[in-house]
Amino acid sequence: MRILWFVLSPLMALAVGLFFLGLSRRFMARIQWRVGPPLYQPLIDILRQFTQKSVSHGPLFDLGVVLSLASSFIVVLFMPLGGTAPLSSSGGLLAVLYLMLLGPLGIALSGGEAANPNVSIGISRKLILAVGYEVPFLMIVLALMTYYGTISIGEIVAAQRESASAIASFPLVFSGIAYLLILPAMLGVRPFEVVGAAQEISSGPAAEYGGPYLALATIQHGLTMFIGISLFVNLLWGGASNPVVFFLKMLVVFAFGFWVNAAFPRLRVEQAVRYLWRWPTLIAFVGLILVATIGR
Amino acid sequence: MVSPVLLLAVPLGLALCVPLVGRVSRRAAGFVPVIASLFNLVVSIRLLPTVLEEPIVANLGGFPPPFGITLFAGPVGMLLSALIALAGLVVSLYALSYIKTGPTVRYHTLYMLLLVGATGVVLTGDVFNLFVFFEILCISSYALVAYVGDRAGIEASVKYLIQGALGSALLLIGIGLLYGLFGTLNMADIAARIDSVDSVPVFVAMALIVVGLGVEAAIFPLNAWLPDAHSSAPSSISAILSGIAIQVGLYAVVRMVFTVFGASSVLLFFVFLGLLTLLIGELCAFAQNNIKRMLAYSSIGQMGLIMFALAIATTGSVTGGLFQMVSHTLSKALLFLAVGYMVYRSGSLEISSLEGMGRRMPLTSFAFTIGVFSLVGLPPFIGFPSKLLIVRSALAEQGVLLQVLIGLVLLATVIEGAYFFRVIQTVYFKKEEGQEARQDAPPMALLSMFVFVAFIVVIGVYPNLITDVLESGASELLERANYIGSVLG
Amino acid sequence: MSLGLLLIVAFGGSLLTYLLGKVSARTRDAFAVLISLALVVMVASLYGKAFRVPFYGGFLGMPLVLRIDGLSWLFAIAASVLGCLSVVFSLGYMKGKERTSFYYSMLLLVIAAMLGVVLSGDLLSLFIFWEIMSWSTFLLISYNGGPALAAGMKYFVMSFVGSLAMLAGVLTLHGSFGTLEFTGVAAGMSSASPGYVLAILVLFGVAFGTKNAIWPFHAWLPPAHSEAPSPFSAVLSGILIKMGVYGFLLLMFVIVGLRTFLSLGVGRIEFHTVLSIIGAITILLPTFIAIFQNDAKRLLAWSTVAQAGYIILGISFGTSLSVAGGMFHFLNHAVFKALLFMVVGAVEYRTNGVRDLDSLGGLIKRMPVTFIVAVIGVCGLIGVPLTNGFVSKWLIYKTLILERSPFLAFAALFGTWGTILYSYKFLHNIFLGQLPQRYEDMERAPFTMLLPMTILSVVVVLFGVLPGIPLAVIDTIGVSFGFESLHVTPWGIASDTGALNTVNMLVAALVGLVVVWCVFRSGARSVSVGQADSYAAGAAVPRDKYQYSVRFYAPLRRMMAPYLKDFVDSFYMRLAGWVRGLGDGLRRIYTGYVGDYVMYILVFLAVLIFVQIAWSPW
Repeated sequence: MRILWFVLSPLMALAVGLFFLGLSRRFMARIQWRVGPPLYQPLIDILRQFTQKSVSHGPLFDLGVVLSLASSFIVVLFMPLGGTAPLSSSGGLLAVLYLMLLGPLGIALSGGEAANPNVSIGISRKLILAVGYEVPFLMIVLALMTYYGTISIGEIVAAQRESASAIASFPLVFSGIAYLLILPAMLGVRPFEVVGAAQEISSGPAAEYGGPYLALATIQHGLTMFIGISLFVNLLWGGASNPVVFFLKMLVVFAFGFWVNAAFPRLRVEQAVRYLWRWPTLIAFVGLILVATIGR
Repeated sequence: MVSPVLLLAVPLGLALCVPLVGRVSRRAAGFVPVIASLFNLVVSIRLLPTVLEEPIVANLGGFPPPFGITLFAGPVGMLLSALIALAGLVVSLYALSYIKTGPTVRYHTLYMLLLVGATGVVLTGDVFNLFVFFEILCISSYALVAYVGDRAGIEASVKYLIQGALGSALLLIGIGLLYGLFGTLNMADIAARIDSVDSVPVFVAMALIVVGLGVEAAIFPLNAWLPDAHSSAPSSISAILSGIAIQVGLYAVVRMVFTVFGASSVLLFFVFLGLLTLLIGELCAFAQNNIKRMLAYSSIGQMGLIMFALAIATTGSVTGGLFQMVSHTLSKALLFLAVGYMVYRSGSLEISSLEGMGRRMPLTSFAFTIGVFSLVGLPPFIGFPSKLLIVRSALAEQGVLLQVLIGLVLLATVIEGAYFFRVIQTVYFKKEEGQEARQDAPPMALLSMFVFVAFIVVIGVYPNLITDVLESGASELLERANYIGSVLG
Repeated sequence: MSLGLLLIVAFGGSLLTYLLGKVSARTRDAFAVLISLALVVMVASLYGKAFRVPFYGGFLGMPLVLRIDGLSWLFAIAASVLGCLSVVFSLGYMKGKERTSFYYSMLLLVIAAMLGVVLSGDLLSLFIFWEIMSWSTFLLISYNGGPALAAGMKYFVMSFVGSLAMLAGVLTLHGSFGTLEFTGVAAGMSSASPGYVLAILVLFGVAFGTKNAIWPFHAWLPPAHSEAPSPFSAVLSGILIKMGVYGFLLLMFVIVGLRTFLSLGVGRIEFHTVLSIIGAITILLPTFIAIFQNDAKRLLAWSTVAQAGYIILGISFGTSLSVAGGMFHFLNHAVFKALLFMVVGAVEYRTNGVRDLDSLGGLIKRMPVTFIVAVIGVCGLIGVPLTNGFVSKWLIYKTLILERSPFLAFAALFGTWGTILYSYKFLHNIFLGQLPQRYEDMERAPFTMLLPMTILSVVVVLFGVLPGIPLAVIDTIGVSFGFESLHVTPWGIASDTGALNTVNMLVAALVGLVVVWCVFRSGARSVSVGQADSYAAGAAVPRDKYQYSVRFYAPLRRMMAPYLKDFVDSFYMRLAGWVRGLGDGLRRIYTGYVGDYVMYILVFLAVLIFVQIAWSPW
């Protein structure tokens, strides 16, 4: 069974990630009174891009993209998607926290080999934004790990199954709210679209990409969404007993995230960090204090 | 058996011969102090084992004490006389190449008289003789400070003379008072008759004597002559003044307070005074830009430290204090000797003028560095065991007060380290503009410096070589009754 | 293998190196390498041994003893290996510099003194070697002149304050127990009063904390590390400051003892918690100061302070996992930080001393191997999984979370995010982005530089994939301190509350990389183009006119700069100014007017007599 999940998890992540990409474009179009592309448009784009020629600036340029995507797939292996996670005993949530940064880091290294100012600016923004949302995010994750006394995602899910899901239980509700507040920033969608701002810095880190590079980067973006949302479902919404329920829960969270996306204009990076360090941090901090003092 | 009288008689005789030798050959005159110091060194070291068992009391003219003039050669006396002879020997070797111009014959005569005076002070058992030898020491140093004959030297010398003379006068009054009170001048005899220093006349006598000797011993606030005198004198004389003269002054103070007056009640005052002297000396040195003045202020600080250690008056601390005397003599004399040639080559006393000396005078700079490390108290040099002993004995005492005080002493050491290491950096690591050719000190001067270096390293690694002497010296200073007993029989 | 011989080789080697330098530079270089290599071999042969040998009868009545056990072996091997690599690295770096004999001799002396420190069996010899280490380090820090002088001075003064505090501690212990050997002191400490133990811990803590640069004793480190010659910075940052860690471990767990240490405190404030909090502060503040540094070495130096915070946090938290994590992190930090300083050294060497992050860039094209090792080093520093830093940090995080100290854990984790920021800046501004035209013809780093860097980077990965190798050694040390065993497996830790299995991760990573690579290659081939041939939305990107990496984190800086003042350092500087001012003021007592001086003498005499007559206090 576990061997099966090794293959199934990445495929599911890939499918759902691309679906989310398609859905987001459609979603956006509807809010803006357009028809929008079909849901499978991202898949078509990717297949097309794979056949297109592109430029390469050097070995690291290639390797960085590959590293980025591969590490995102590895993170997926840590997630129980309505079952047991394939890599359940390899460092738990702490390893996930680290591996999640390899995605952007790979893109950054890759883009770094080209001398493009937009890439440098984009990377700098990405890192600053990450510091912004990591403050509340770490507080949330720590509150959860402290509350349940484990660093394993699987056990957190199991513990929620025994009692109520975290977002519905007293001290952790703060953490849940804080997570929802930073979710758009983690997914990199508006109003936090400072990194890949298409009109301003030519999509930032992805500015040099075309053909297969762009395809891989797009998939990686889809996976990032998948990971951010599935973490929420697992850690705060009690996971699921089978992949279908898990998917449905993800869909709900996704819808929330994109409602925010459509309703707000883009922030500047300082404004984003200020926002992230104000309300989400405060709420997450309250949650953490309550967990540390009251406990379970 | 060799008599300690020879330690005074032979150098005194030779000192008077110097002008005669000088008539034959000016160069040869320089060798007379070498011979005399060597003689003293050998005799002192030969006498040391005997003295460790029992002090030698020599009576001049055959009168038994308390009537005749007494020499008392205990462990402290022999230790210091050996130290004086050693420093005297090395510095006179240095002077062979360093003192080239001016009235060299007179220099050597005065230099030897200075040594005789110093040796006399540490060996005498008689208060009046103490005064006499003290005057020999002081007067020859007044003259030597002015040796170069420049304005600064003469000014410093005159200032020194005025303060020194005042001190001597006070000392003489104090001695007179003592004589009036007890009708004797023998130290042991006075000591035997003093019940306490509570009575006003005895206290006044003690205050006069302490202040009179304190001028030479560089106790704050009596030490104002020192920075000028030590920095204006020729470096060989600075070495002797810093390394020997002031320590002899301090010895005299300690001898009077410990042995003659037995004044244990004032010791705490001396602890504070020592600490104050230490802090003020180090802080002033920290703010100096003139290398020789810096060394002079550092000497004040070191005297404070020695006094601090001695005044705690436990066996350990007095041992530490005596050890610090030895280490200060070796290190500070070495520093003055090294700086002497550095300053000579650079032509300026400013610390900044020593830039690049590490390249111009590598061996001299090396010796200087060893001296600094030792003085600051870093292992494996002699300053380390001596400071270690002081701190150890002070911490072994119960009571918060002493622990706080030792904290201040360590703080002063940090300040000392800071200003000395700044000089090391200047000597070695500051980039100089024009690359000047290597031109080290002459071989004789280097030899003399490296004699000190050898002693500093060897005793630093094997402090046990001298701890026996130091410990019996400490018990000699602390146990009055033994002293009185061995003199009066 | 006798310990005495080892130290004789170490100290004698240092002296002989200097003398050989007067004969021939090549012989000296070869000899220095040989000696440092011999030390590695000799230390390695001592693995698993535990014994003591007296080597000096009585220094002022205190016998000096050498000893070896697991703890000292771990530090000794780290010191000798890093020392050896640093000597090899110096071969290229120091070529053509002045006073090289002095440099090599001092480098070997520092290594010898460090070995002496960790092999000491009593506190006095520890102190003696400690002092020798301090002054030789001072000389090496000052070596470069210029700004290095101030750095050296700061180092010396702070380190001297620390060692004098230690001296007071050592001698107090001697006064109480009459012995200074670790076992004897430990026996005495077990029955000492808590207040006494606390005082001793504080006295020694100042010394060790200063050396290890924990806040607020860190001020010396950034200038010293950045101004020292780079191979020596590697030693300094890699192992020398870890002597403070050694001291802490020795003091806490060997001399004071685990049980006493954990129960020590004033009222409800536990000592070890206070130390952990200091560790957390030491992580956070320096990390965010490091982000805004523009000098590569200064950035790394601040990073060293921050990483020292992790180590202190780990060992003072006092659980078996955290202490193992702290010790492991010391080892890891030694490896990757030495590696990174060597990287800067190599760059400096090829660019004639440029280490300003705003003027470098694109060197990946010219120094590819250096770049690869730099990436590995940076990954270790961040703690990316499959590098050594991950495992040690993981241990620390895990125990902090499970022991319900989420705020300390937050400091540690958030510090890691800061680490990512400055590490990436380091990497990007040196190696990525545009290559300035003046460096277009630069050569690769020489072999003598690449060799040590490659060895270190292999170790980073090796310890990351098979952490069981060092952890087994560390576990035995932990057990000797009285902790329970960790259940070390070759690839991590077996545990109920979240295990660690690096091999799983390795396999997953390899498979993932291969699959994605294959997918990627199955697409259309790309055309290789020059770096400058880049897309700029229609606007040409001018070459060599702009440096995109200048002020890399400007928006963040605008937000955070006001809060990131190193007020501790400015306090020290002001203090130094006050002392100087005080000295200047006191100097005016000596007015130069002899009448005043005579007055001093007479007034002093009069006061003495007056006081006695009035109050007769004596």
